[in-house]
Amino acid sequence: MKILIAISSKEYSKPTLQVGMLAAKAYNASVTIAYVGQKISAFGTSDVGLAQESNAKWGIERPGVRVLEWAFNYLAENKYITPEIANAGFQRNTLVDHGKNRLELHLKGNYCEEVDLILRRGDIIPELRNEVAQNGYDITVIGRSKKRRMAHDLVQYIDSSIYVARDLLPFKEFRLLQAVDDSKGTTKALLYGSQVAKAFNMPVDVLTVSKRESFGKGYMGAHKKALKIFEKVGVKPVSMLKVGDPVKTILDIATKNHLIVMGVSQLNPIIQFFKGSKPLHVMKKCDSPMMIVK
Amino acid sequence: MQYSKQLNTTIYWLTQKRWLIFAFLGAFILFLLPAPAGLSLPGYRILIIVFIALTLIISESLPLPGIAFIIIILEVYFGIGDPNSIAKSFMNDAVFFIMGSLMLAVAIVRQGWDKRIALGIIKLTGNKTHWVAFGFASISAILASFVGGHTVAAIMLPIALTLIKYTSKDRKNVIRLSAYLLFSIAYGSLIGSVGTPSGGGRNVILIHYWQEFGMPQISYLEWMKFAYPLIFIQIPILSWILWKNFPPEFNILDNGINKLKEQVAKSDYITSTQITALIIFFLVFLGWVFLSEKVGLGIIALNGVVMYLLTGCVTWDDLHKHVNWGVVLLFGATISMGVQINNTGAAEWLANNIIKIGGDPIVSIPAFTDGLVILLTTLLANILSSSATVAVLGPITLNLPGDSIHIGLVMAISSAFGYFTAVAAPACTIIYASGLVKAKDFLKVGWKMGLASIIILIIYANTYWVLIN
Repeated sequence: MKILIAISSKEYSKPTLQVGMLAAKAYNASVTIAYVGQKISAFGTSDVGLAQESNAKWGIERPGVRVLEWAFNYLAENKYITPEIANAGFQRNTLVDHGKNRLELHLKGNYCEEVDLILRRGDIIPELRNEVAQNGYDITVIGRSKKRRMAHDLVQYIDSSIYVARDLLPFKEFRLLQAVDDSKGTTKALLYGSQVAKAFNMPVDVLTVSKRESFGKGYMGAHKKALKIFEKVGVKPVSMLKVGDPVKTILDIATKNHLIVMGVSQLNPIIQFFKGSKPLHVMKKCDSPMMIVK
Repeated sequence: MQYSKQLNTTIYWLTQKRWLIFAFLGAFILFLLPAPAGLSLPGYRILIIVFIALTLIISESLPLPGIAFIIIILEVYFGIGDPNSIAKSFMNDAVFFIMGSLMLAVAIVRQGWDKRIALGIIKLTGNKTHWVAFGFASISAILASFVGGHTVAAIMLPIALTLIKYTSKDRKNVIRLSAYLLFSIAYGSLIGSVGTPSGGGRNVILIHYWQEFGMPQISYLEWMKFAYPLIFIQIPILSWILWKNFPPEFNILDNGINKLKEQVAKSDYITSTQITALIIFFLVFLGWVFLSEKVGLGIIALNGVVMYLLTGCVTWDDLHKHVNWGVVLLFGATISMGVQINNTGAAEWLANNIIKIGGDPIVSIPAFTDGLVILLTTLLANILSSSATVAVLGPITLNLPGDSIHIGLVMAISSAFGYFTAVAAPACTIIYASGLVKAKDFLKVGWKMGLASIIILIIYANTYWVLIN
């Protein structure tokens, strides 16, 4: 498994890094921590490159390197990287420019074999999309964005599951809220949800919401299947069958201590583009961390 | 699933290229409409190309060379010129100059003069923040007037960043100091870049238009006589505005200056390559002053590049890597477009319409015309880029009533009022890319600097230029 963690600054990205690294540890996954710097006008790219080379001669690092250094220190403090690498400290001069707007520092991990720190520059959506397309990540971990359209674009265009981190995780009180319906997206989401619940020993709420007063065969079947899957991995889930608007119900039930897991919408991409989807509406409005499984 | 993925990819492409689609759709609709009264068909079509080019440049929905090729291709397909005449209008001395000045910038930055400049500034200014910032602005302006703002910003940036770094390790403690010093460099470079024809590609584009349109021209030294005093008026105003907007957290920069001195002391003695590079640049400068009217500024710049290559001051690999070839191609194409705007009569038609809208004041009050040209140029320079602005607006403003030298210089100078955004000039982009100033900082201080510069230029052009004429 490969996990991409997108960070922006030490002030805002600690929860993102925390949850991304915990997931990487649980799955023994390869992990890449990416910082995407601001876009530069096409008129100035060469001049900026020249200026940055001059800066390097004076020992001045390029923007974003400090954020990577903070990420490195976090990895070292939490023993995610080998003691030899951690003790050597953050080596700015070992950031390798691979071209294609990508600088990389390769580290050896303790729990995860591969830990890479990378620096890219440009618009965040195209850069993350390219990174995922080029390196085939399974999960992209991001923080909550203030930009309204950002969440929509990430879910719509990035070809991996998306985990939206919020605050630092208070693990002891944490619960997993698995949203279940009869769609294809739910099946994969259940696999992820059950693995996470098992790995972190989390209590689970399995929620199915019907818009009609009665639950159809499909919904009931999916709900029962979900309960069985969790029981199989040794977790006793709480069954919740509710009637109402799915998005509103999920938002009413979810607290800050819930990790919401939902499958990606199976709606036509054109409809999703204009109208959004259930996972997207939940993501925009809730304060809980959330995983949208693709 | 596969279908859904492909559809999603298509939607992504459409959202990323929405401005490209808008440009071509808009152009297609305009193409189907008849040309406005008084405008020739080729004139109308070149304006359609201008619409496409401006939309694509501002939105950056295509790489710069792609935009350049679209302009050239459409000029031929729209019947504005045959392939050979378009090719001829594409390559000229102004493009040689832009290419040469970008290469000279690489050669100059590579010489490591920055440490000596740093030492020079400190010796002159001492350790008080406002004098250091004033020194940065002044030196940037003077250097930029000869070698261009992009070169100066690349040289000066590490000096300022070193001062900031050693003044406080925590960036939160030096937010205003960073903005104060960095804007002194960028805005100082912008102000200085109008001082001589070699200060910026836009100046040379204007000179090319004067030649191409058979208008009177001025020499290198005459240009300096017109434009240089403005630098000395603007620099103190810049320093005052920056001081008021970004009152620095530290009034004395003892720590930073001492560390900077230590860094500079570590550098080697001046090398023979550095002396050679300096002599070559001095020769280039002499060439610009005394020979440019005969052989052109571009040829002299390229001559300097050849000398740098011959003496080993710079390698071709280095030049090739650091020259923005997309910019060279785009300016070639925009100049070609500008020439065609004039040749097809579109420039005259637009100028006449501006006169109609503006009424009598445009014809009878030079200051009114100046104000209009300055506003138009400043607006476009801040969203497009200064050189592209002169390339597109030049033919139109030069067709306005009045002295073409006066109007041309007003336009060239106001194209340097790119204080509002990071895209207006490479010097602004360079400080923006440092991550220490934000886009909103440009707006915060830019409108004040812009307003002051506009008022000063109108007064200056209608008093000092009248006096020296």
